[in-house]
Amino acid sequence: MTSTSNPTPDTSAGWRPAARMLGRALVGRVLGLAAGLHQTWRRSLQVRVVTITLVVSSLLVGGFAYLIANKITDILLENAKTDTLLRLRSGSDYAGKQFSLYQQPQEAQLQDTIEGTVNYLAGGDPQQTSGVVVAITADRYAGIIETRTSPATDVRPLVSPELRAAVADGKVAHQIRTGRLADQRTKYLVYGSPVPTSFGQLELYYLVPLNRQDAAAADARATVLATGVTLVLLLGLLAALVTRLVVTPVRVAARTAQRLSAGLLDQRMAVNGEDDLALLAASFNQMATNLQRQILRLEEMSRLQRRFTSDVSHELRTPLTTVRMAADLIFAERDEFDPAVARSAELLQAELDRFEELLTDLLEISRFDAGFAMLDAEPTDLTPIVHRVADRLAALAERVGVPIELDVPGTPVIAEIDPRRVERVLRNLVGNAVEHGEGKPVRITLGMDETAVAITVRDHGVGLKPGEEKLVFNRFWRADPSRARQTGGTGLGLSISLEDARLHGGWLEAWGAPGQGAQFRLTLPARAGDRLTTSPLRLVPADAALPFGGPRDGELLTIGPAGGGALAIGPVPKTDDDRAEARS
Amino acid sequence: MRRMLAGVFGAVLLALTGCGIPAHTEVEVDGSGPAVAAGTASYRRDEPPTRTASGDDRAAFVRNFLSAAAGEPERAYERVKQFIAPENRARLQEKQGSEIAVNVVRLTEKPVITENANGLFSVRLPVQQVGLLRANGVLAPPVATETEYRFGLRGTVSPGQEGTEEAGLFVTNPPNVLLLSADALRQYYQARPVYFWSSDGSRLVPDQRYLPLAVPDERRVSEVVKWLIAGPSEWLSTGVSRLPDRTALINNAIETEDRWEVNLDLPGDDNRKLAQIGTQLAWSLPELNGQLQLTTRNQSRAAIPSLRQHRLEHPVYPGTDNPQRFTVYEGAVHPLAFLGEGSAPVPLAAEVNRDVLSAGLSRVDDQVLAALVVTAPGGRQRLATGSGAGRVQIVNPSPQTFGTVGRPIWLRSPDPRRPYGLVVADRRLWRFDDRGRMDPVPLNVAGPVTAVAASLDGHRIAVVIGGALHVASLNVDGGVVTAGPVRKVATSLTDLSAVDWAGENTLLLAGTAGRSAVYEVSIDGALQTALVADVGARVTHLAAYPTNPVVPLPSVLIMYEANGVAYRYPQRDTIRRDQVLDVTPPPSGGRAGSPTAPFFLF
Repeated sequence: MTSTSNPTPDTSAGWRPAARMLGRALVGRVLGLAAGLHQTWRRSLQVRVVTITLVVSSLLVGGFAYLIANKITDILLENAKTDTLLRLRSGSDYAGKQFSLYQQPQEAQLQDTIEGTVNYLAGGDPQQTSGVVVAITADRYAGIIETRTSPATDVRPLVSPELRAAVADGKVAHQIRTGRLADQRTKYLVYGSPVPTSFGQLELYYLVPLNRQDAAAADARATVLATGVTLVLLLGLLAALVTRLVVTPVRVAARTAQRLSAGLLDQRMAVNGEDDLALLAASFNQMATNLQRQILRLEEMSRLQRRFTSDVSHELRTPLTTVRMAADLIFAERDEFDPAVARSAELLQAELDRFEELLTDLLEISRFDAGFAMLDAEPTDLTPIVHRVADRLAALAERVGVPIELDVPGTPVIAEIDPRRVERVLRNLVGNAVEHGEGKPVRITLGMDETAVAITVRDHGVGLKPGEEKLVFNRFWRADPSRARQTGGTGLGLSISLEDARLHGGWLEAWGAPGQGAQFRLTLPARAGDRLTTSPLRLVPADAALPFGGPRDGELLTIGPAGGGALAIGPVPKTDDDRAEARS
Repeated sequence: MRRMLAGVFGAVLLALTGCGIPAHTEVEVDGSGPAVAAGTASYRRDEPPTRTASGDDRAAFVRNFLSAAAGEPERAYERVKQFIAPENRARLQEKQGSEIAVNVVRLTEKPVITENANGLFSVRLPVQQVGLLRANGVLAPPVATETEYRFGLRGTVSPGQEGTEEAGLFVTNPPNVLLLSADALRQYYQARPVYFWSSDGSRLVPDQRYLPLAVPDERRVSEVVKWLIAGPSEWLSTGVSRLPDRTALINNAIETEDRWEVNLDLPGDDNRKLAQIGTQLAWSLPELNGQLQLTTRNQSRAAIPSLRQHRLEHPVYPGTDNPQRFTVYEGAVHPLAFLGEGSAPVPLAAEVNRDVLSAGLSRVDDQVLAALVVTAPGGRQRLATGSGAGRVQIVNPSPQTFGTVGRPIWLRSPDPRRPYGLVVADRRLWRFDDRGRMDPVPLNVAGPVTAVAASLDGHRIAVVIGGALHVASLNVDGGVVTAGPVRKVATSLTDLSAVDWAGENTLLLAGTAGRSAVYEVSIDGALQTALVADVGARVTHLAAYPTNPVVPLPSVLIMYEANGVAYRYPQRDTIRRDQVLDVTPPPSGGRAGSPTAPFFLF
């Protein structure tokens, strides 16, 4: 006993992991399949329409098919019942008359009469096999009158005690039973009726095989089912065709729209016929044409504008050169003039410098706008550039009293950059910082990692108001329009710097807070053409106060949800749990 | 999505396969069944008395014992054994089904009951064996030859057997047969004819059956149909045709709203045959007047809307009404005139109507057949026969002459062109036709033939051979009259001198029972009635107009002659000379002859 029972846990133990694995694999596959199906469902209108059509039509057709098949079966069965009931009634009538000649169940001829009656009611010829079995039983005279059937068989298994009881109670009753009388199991409609006689009651039973009705019902069912399935499939096919008819132009339209948005403005849809889809295609094409015209017009205008700017700049340069030469002459001779005139010559000289600068910047900008700016990248050490810029602006810094601090690594910071442009950007940033430094130190930090290099320029001036971080890069933008320019800024410096940074594939970002100064960060990829993901330096300086004033000493910060899907960082709200928090 | 689709399909499929004919259902009641028809069954009447009915009356007990077998044959043994002492019941060996037969005996004397020692009685029954009543109602010729039966009687408390409170007597040492007295047969059975078609299919021939009165009315139709199917009595079988072989009654005949339905299994399924059976049944069931429907298994039908009407349209004996009486007076046939009866002139030409000793006339439609026994030279007699329309002009004398010729009779053949008659001449049976030709008719019983009579249907004859009554069927197939096997009939009368038919199945006999008497006996001899107990002299002529279902008469009309004097019955008076018509008055003072050999023309 034990020897046989022992292996069972082993095998089950061996089975379990395998089953678990199998189950897991199965679940995984099913989940994968479900995910795939879900994706298909979401993506394909056709699949959705066809599926819904199939499901709804299956339900409808199935319902109808069920009703029809049920009705047919009911009718067949009802007919059989009516026929049998008629036969039964006339049969019991006949039998009753036959038996009315006998006064006692013991009479010798009664048995023969019962036998003859049964044979007669069954169709006369006992050899005949219509399948109908007629039986006369005498439940009350079990010992005296034998049960007779025609054809001779044992009908007791098919006549249930309930039916016997009902018939014995003087009722005509019926029941469907399945049983084996001949060689195969058959459904029988069993009808029973009492046969009153002078000495008491006998029972007459008709057992009608329902083979024919069953076969007819199955036939009808199969036909209805086949028709239904065909109908559903046809409906699905129809839905697929119709959807395809609609979806295909929509897909073409989508593809065309994608191409249009990608700039291929001459893409058009094919217009076939005059239907709604043709109208859609025509409208789409018209829209595309209008868009194309508008875009071309705007482009032309923009081009003209840029051309104009460039032309104006160029056209101004020639007279300016003449004016410059004249002004240089006058400036050189200024000592010989009346002091007031000398002063004017100096002013003229300064403003001409600015004018020249402005023209240069305008030309630079227009070059960017025209897309003529070319990156002349080469591996360059940024450290000397930083130093050079700091040195150049040292004089100006000294004049306004702003010390420039450098935080540069000792090792060379090599990156593939255009040194001229990077220097221009740095000069611009540091110049701005010095200009807005308000006497406080300006700090230049150089940082790098594997993929990028970054330079931040930090000042502690008035800073930027919220929102101004973006505006600073706009052309001719001014934080305080009323403020006079002290330095010779053109208002285009940061715009040009931003274009330079973009030309490198880098970032130029600004941070600032009122009273806390500002910080600009230039991040450039270490290799030209690489995409930037992070910057080696932080945009927000470490000494910057948090917008809410920062946490109190020794208190905690919380990070919680804020509006617009952002995270908000703030102090722990004041609650009664304060002490508990502090203690813990 | 597809799984959902598959699920929906599956559900539809399941629903469709689920909506077929269920394998089992609950019992559903369709209403009440037919109710018991209240009291339609007529209860058994005329059951023979039981054993205890006679009390201690030993003679009554013996009488009851001799009627105990009456009733339905299946239970005859059971009834008889009630009379037999329990210890002796095994002596009566039971037979089954169609083997059951009852010995019908006629007591020739009263039972002799003598008391023995020990309070026991012995009974001696002197009997005449009448016949064997078979289960199918036929009274066949007797098989047993015993002339007396002996058995014992004892009281219910036999020595050594105490405490039984039953009264009455028991039969001990019973005879090993079922005995039924002829009186009990008369009392507990109904004698009724069933009709078979003659072999040529022209006439219905009655056959006698005994139906126990105990059989309820509802079953009589079935019984009659079964009799018809079972065939005629043995002696009739050569003269009549049976139903087709394997004809069977399907179940019982049943009555529905005054319409009797008979289901037959009829081989060949012949509608003409079915109609013939219908006519047979119409006559065999005279008590039914309503509708009769015959149906075969193949649903052929023959419906008779009214049995009464059908009988009127298909008379069993056509042209038998209006009998006329004639007699022979002074060598010529003369009509007889009685008060209240019509008469007609003699349908014989005057030149024919002379030297007549006796005559037999018959009428078939307009045709009159005449057979005259006339005197021949040398004191001999010869037969002269002829036929004619309305009146016989010429008769053809037979070539043979005889010492004595009995009264000739015409067979009531349906074919008027080939009439045949029978006559007894010189103790032999002859047949003759209307051209005077005579041929002997062989019989299978040897003995002197002294009288012959033909029945109304013309297919049966009664002959007296050696002074005893015999019956036989006639077969006229092929134009030759031949007699079938002769069946002897047991009668009380002996030394029979004349015979005629008194009815369909009854005969008139003239013979001796101590004295000369005229009896009416059934065709099988079981039932007999003395019509004239004492004629006074031997009856030499007997003629009757038989009762028949076509022409209802209260009683048979008989004329007979004894000792040269003619009598008539039921009036029981002599036929006087002045009742003879068309007689030239005799010369005054001359001795007037008396009318002799009276007969009926019908």
